[in-house]
Amino acid sequence: MRSRLRPIDLFALSMRGLFARPFRAVLTSIGIGIGIAAIVAVIGISASGRAALLATLDDLGTNLLRVTPGAGIFGQAADVPEDAVAMVARIGPVEDVTGITIVDATVRRSDFVSKLDTGGLTVVSATPRLLEVIRGDVADGRFLEDGLKAVPVVVLGSTAAERLGIRSVVPAVRVLIGDEWFGVTGILESFPIHPDLDRTVFVSYESAATFLDGKPEPTAIYVRANPLSINDVAEVIPATVAPEAPDTVEITRPSDALVARKAADETLTSLLIGLGAVALLVAGVAIANIMVMSILERRMEIGVRRSLGATRRHIRLQFIVESMALAGFGGLAGVVLGAGITVGYAANRDVMVSIPMAGIAASVGAALALGALAGVYPAVRASRIDPAEAVRR
Amino acid sequence: MESANSNRPVVELSGVSKVYPGPPPVVALDSVDLVVSRGELVAIVGPSGSGKSTLLHVMGGLDRPTSGDVAIDGVDLGALNDKGISGLRAHSIGFVFQDFFLMEGVDAVNNVAEGLVYRGLGRRERRTRAVAALESVGLGHRLDHTPAQLSGGERQRVAIARALIGDPAIVFADEPTGNLDSATSDEIAELFTRLNAGGSTIVAITHDLEFAQRFPRMVSLRDGRTVL
Repeated sequence: MRSRLRPIDLFALSMRGLFARPFRAVLTSIGIGIGIAAIVAVIGISASGRAALLATLDDLGTNLLRVTPGAGIFGQAADVPEDAVAMVARIGPVEDVTGITIVDATVRRSDFVSKLDTGGLTVVSATPRLLEVIRGDVADGRFLEDGLKAVPVVVLGSTAAERLGIRSVVPAVRVLIGDEWFGVTGILESFPIHPDLDRTVFVSYESAATFLDGKPEPTAIYVRANPLSINDVAEVIPATVAPEAPDTVEITRPSDALVARKAADETLTSLLIGLGAVALLVAGVAIANIMVMSILERRMEIGVRRSLGATRRHIRLQFIVESMALAGFGGLAGVVLGAGITVGYAANRDVMVSIPMAGIAASVGAALALGALAGVYPAVRASRIDPAEAVRR
Repeated sequence: MESANSNRPVVELSGVSKVYPGPPPVVALDSVDLVVSRGELVAIVGPSGSGKSTLLHVMGGLDRPTSGDVAIDGVDLGALNDKGISGLRAHSIGFVFQDFFLMEGVDAVNNVAEGLVYRGLGRRERRTRAVAALESVGLGHRLDHTPAQLSGGERQRVAIARALIGDPAIVFADEPTGNLDSATSDEIAELFTRLNAGGSTIVAITHDLEFAQRFPRMVSLRDGRTVL
């Protein structure tokens, strides 16, 4: 003769206990809900951000190198031969290459602006290939073209256009570079991985030489290479562009900056998840508290259940399952809320929604485990209630 | 089979004492000997403080005696652990309480069916037997009423049906008419008599002498001792 409680009946008992006081159940699970929502939202937003980053990297390619002859020991820039670009192009895995050269001139809206006021903008000579190599886009007008290379025209980076107060190439606008007027033929979209180029205005090598005393030697070279050989290419380049001082050549991979920024974001993400975990812990204590209170109120029920044949274990299980259900419902609500926040964020930022299922499963699992843990002490107390005492008037 | 079982003891108490530790220690039961045989209908009477409730709890295994032996349906409770006594309560003992102790907001059938939940029976069988138990206490027409929709006497009948649903060897009733008026008490006494005629063994404790006098056997308790 043994007491037996079927699992389905155990579950039904616990649900009945929960729904007997629905308002209290809702209030109690709010804490868990908020904690889980915070964690899911942080995971979701971070994952969506990562998806957006991967899409950006995919779009821009991670196989771009930026080569700059750095400052030598005595501060002078290494001499880069005029034909460095052509020499780099001859390296096997290099797919595309182009150079830019900084021009010693300032760009101004008109001659009422002092020549010394650079506005933080740089004038650069470039080839029409540049936009293709770094995969930039034109927001308005056109980029430099071979047909216009002898004409004083300029293309503005996005920040440069903003600072010069130019929003469109129509109607025709001119800017003063050095002492020459240049017609603006294009405005570029901003570059996610070349923020320096946003603050730059581009002229052709030919017009730079004609009007601005521009030099042909490149100050920076952009190289697209086969992604599989990119490290080998990076090793060969210094000796190619500056055979006399290869150590002064600096090679960067602009996409690395994005990855690094993301890594910094991830530190913040871990911190936020940690805060969410603290919220969960507090919520767990609240559940334990409410369960203890609830058990004091339900002594009579416990006494009756014991008189009907419940063992101490049955009483314990009933309250642990009840506590788990309380936390589980809160957790589910939190997942829905957190997913909603993520979707809202993604829609707002126009990025892909990505909510990792493993993260959701883990957070609901954590809520259930927390519920079980929070229920242990109250459940043990409930099971120790003396049945004779509980049914006494 | 009836006759073979009719004299078998269902409750055997020998030298049962219960002392609540002091200071000063309170002797609630003092060497009580009592035997209830199968098919009996027994009233235990006594003034309040005479130890009636303690006696009932000790007999039903809700409480353990300080000394002495208790056996239910031939099983010595002293040899059982808490789990074993719980099993015995699930299968062999039914309880009826003064305050009914029904689940609010739950209809009569499900309240009665709860009496079988710790036997591991399926929902459908519990329900079928609950309907039969409610019919046997004359509440076949109140199956889906919640406690709030029932009168006091009807609630106590639901509680009695819950105690009887598992067909226990013994039913203990603790002041079953304590919250009922005298007309309703008479109905409950009649119900007990009828259920007893149907084979149930029932022990009720009460301080209501009029109620107790309708029982074929009466045991008086005073200061923790049985009085003849």
